[in-house]
Amino acid sequence: MHAVTLAAAAAAAIFRIVPLACDGDRLAVAGAGVLRLAEGTSCSAFVPGRATAIALDADNRVTPQRLTPAALAAAKIPRAAYVLAPAAGRDADETALVTTTIDVLVPPRTPPGDDIYISTERSSWSPAEIRMDRVDARHFRLALQLHRGARLAFRVTRGSYGTIERNEARALPPAHIAPGEPDAHVTVTIPAWADID
Amino acid sequence: MTRWGLTRAALACLAFTAAPGAADARPTATVDGSIVFFSDTLALIVRDGATVKLADGTRAHADAAYLDLRTDRLVLAGRAHVARGAAAIDGDAIALELDGTRVDVLDAASGVGRTTRALGPTTAADFDAERFVFPDVDDRYAFIKSKHATITPHADVRFSPAAFPTSVGGVPVPSYLHTFATGAGFGSTSLAGATFDQPYGLWGSPTSLTALHARWEDGPGAALALQQQIVSGDDAYVAASIDAPLHGYSVHGFTAYRRIGSRFTAIADASGTIYGTVAHAGFTAAFGAAGGRLDYTRVSGGGSSFNASLRTPDRPLPGGATWRLRGDFGFDAQRGGLLGLLPDAHNYATVWRHGLDLSVSTPVVRVPLGATMATSLDTSRTWFSFPHHRDALGASVNVTRPLARNLKLFLNYQGSWGADVYPNTQGLFYPTPTTPLITPDGTPYFGYAAFSGATTFRAQSGELQFTPNGTSLRLTVTHTADFPQFNGFGRPQWEVRGGARFRPFPNIGIDVSRAYDFAWGGTRWQPRWSFAITP
Repeated sequence: MHAVTLAAAAAAAIFRIVPLACDGDRLAVAGAGVLRLAEGTSCSAFVPGRATAIALDADNRVTPQRLTPAALAAAKIPRAAYVLAPAAGRDADETALVTTTIDVLVPPRTPPGDDIYISTERSSWSPAEIRMDRVDARHFRLALQLHRGARLAFRVTRGSYGTIERNEARALPPAHIAPGEPDAHVTVTIPAWADID
Repeated sequence: MTRWGLTRAALACLAFTAAPGAADARPTATVDGSIVFFSDTLALIVRDGATVKLADGTRAHADAAYLDLRTDRLVLAGRAHVARGAAAIDGDAIALELDGTRVDVLDAASGVGRTTRALGPTTAADFDAERFVFPDVDDRYAFIKSKHATITPHADVRFSPAAFPTSVGGVPVPSYLHTFATGAGFGSTSLAGATFDQPYGLWGSPTSLTALHARWEDGPGAALALQQQIVSGDDAYVAASIDAPLHGYSVHGFTAYRRIGSRFTAIADASGTIYGTVAHAGFTAAFGAAGGRLDYTRVSGGGSSFNASLRTPDRPLPGGATWRLRGDFGFDAQRGGLLGLLPDAHNYATVWRHGLDLSVSTPVVRVPLGATMATSLDTSRTWFSFPHHRDALGASVNVTRPLARNLKLFLNYQGSWGADVYPNTQGLFYPTPTTPLITPDGTPYFGYAAFSGATTFRAQSGELQFTPNGTSLRLTVTHTADFPQFNGFGRPQWEVRGGARFRPFPNIGIDVSRAYDFAWGGTRWQPRWSFAITP
């Protein structure tokens, strides 16, 4: 009885997928496995690389559906539905913009009126790319919208390359990474600035 | 720009274009099709028929392709075909690395086979779905759309042409170089600060970048600059530039940095204008949390200075406060005499000095009314080998008071007091003016007669910051009370600044601010704009 309920629930679900390829009655799903098309379903409904929605019938066969925000991630497709199952799957959905919060703690000798910026590879390392919000005298914060799956390298400045962060040995540190994951939080403590010894 | 300046700019262009050409890494891949590129995920996606050419002669095409520039992995999706010489392989999807040997071929009917870049017979392999990820993205939010891309792994990608879908007007450019190398030196610059600076990459490699900069500078106005960077990871870089304002004189710049082991760094920089050159070399050393620094500066006209300093670590005080002491030693020198006001100035071509600087800082502490406060104090004295010493005292108090969840009030006080003391010769170095100082609007400043080397700078400011949902709005009022300061001479007494940072589109941000100086220098108010577009 329980198995029947689960099968019915899966059959009613709509899944958001990125087709990798479709050939005959086989549909390869990006980051997942290979599904089988339902009778009467043609590969013309699937464009490789373009997100779409599918439903599974009682025999775990695929029919194309209209893509809606309610569609489940491809990772939720029951493993039993695959005719070729992957060793492990990965959700390929990078449409969502997620919020990553960066907290920066500045050293005591930071000039009190100075703004703090992050500099990223997105702007070819413009030193005043995005101004951070002040939390208190030594603490700044920025809520950054990133695509899910991003790994954004960044450095901290006071608005120019001459005021870029330095480590305790007064050397340039490697870039920090802001991950594009839901509610990700990165805290950076700045030991020193390039222009203040 | 003068003719000579233009000539030098052209010569620099030639030199710079030759240099990176030699340093260029060979492009590993070219991609053709309907391309969309996302700068934060470094995902390059090709739709409606993708053609890929790799530097080793490998050719590929498929219905679509995904190139992950973080990992250099290429996924060919739908009727994928890869050929190299006479060898070829087909599959429903094929995954390979730009510079690797492994090739995974997915046949939806039979499973996954694996071969090498020689494209020999495949052998059955595990179905590693990670190899066949194709990101689910919304093309409307792409950073760049293009038809052709040339990729240098771990360095840059050139789009020809390039359209920026959500930028102002979405005007395409014939070619755009996007650099994603992460070496710290790629952010270095030998250009002076500018109100606006938009780089445009010309040539690049994993270790170099040549970029043209469209600039707006305070004073000269519009300017074009060319900069060459050569970078070795986070450990070393060299940047050289020529900045040519359309109305004004060109400026040459140079900066270099080298980390030496885990304790030492060496730096050098120089700039040159029609007025002369300034060259500087420095060296830093770290001994645990303590450290030292050497700096030598030389200017054209025979001037130079040297400074050696040692600093203690930040040492604890009660309540979480810290103190730090720094000692300095060095000289200032000028050919013909440093103290030109003295009749025997030639005897003082070099004046040695030494100084001590003590700074004390408190942590951020809670205070009544739900506020927090941080304070700092800095005091220093410098002694010179001529009868002369200079004292400085600085203090700041910063209070933060949350008013609502996204609304904060910041109150700041900053003061600095200085005394430049010449025992017995004060009147010689700070003479009483025989005529009153005239301010920019022609008003005489009689009070300046009281200035004899002692300065005061005090600033009080209040700022409201409102940060709802990724937007930031700020309003700041600043009052200064300095000496000397009068009617356009010195800092404005009252300034109001408003600013907003917001995102009109998902991948474009705008940071705009406007400031007013009130009743200063003969004008009732002086508005100033600043504007920046952010990714």
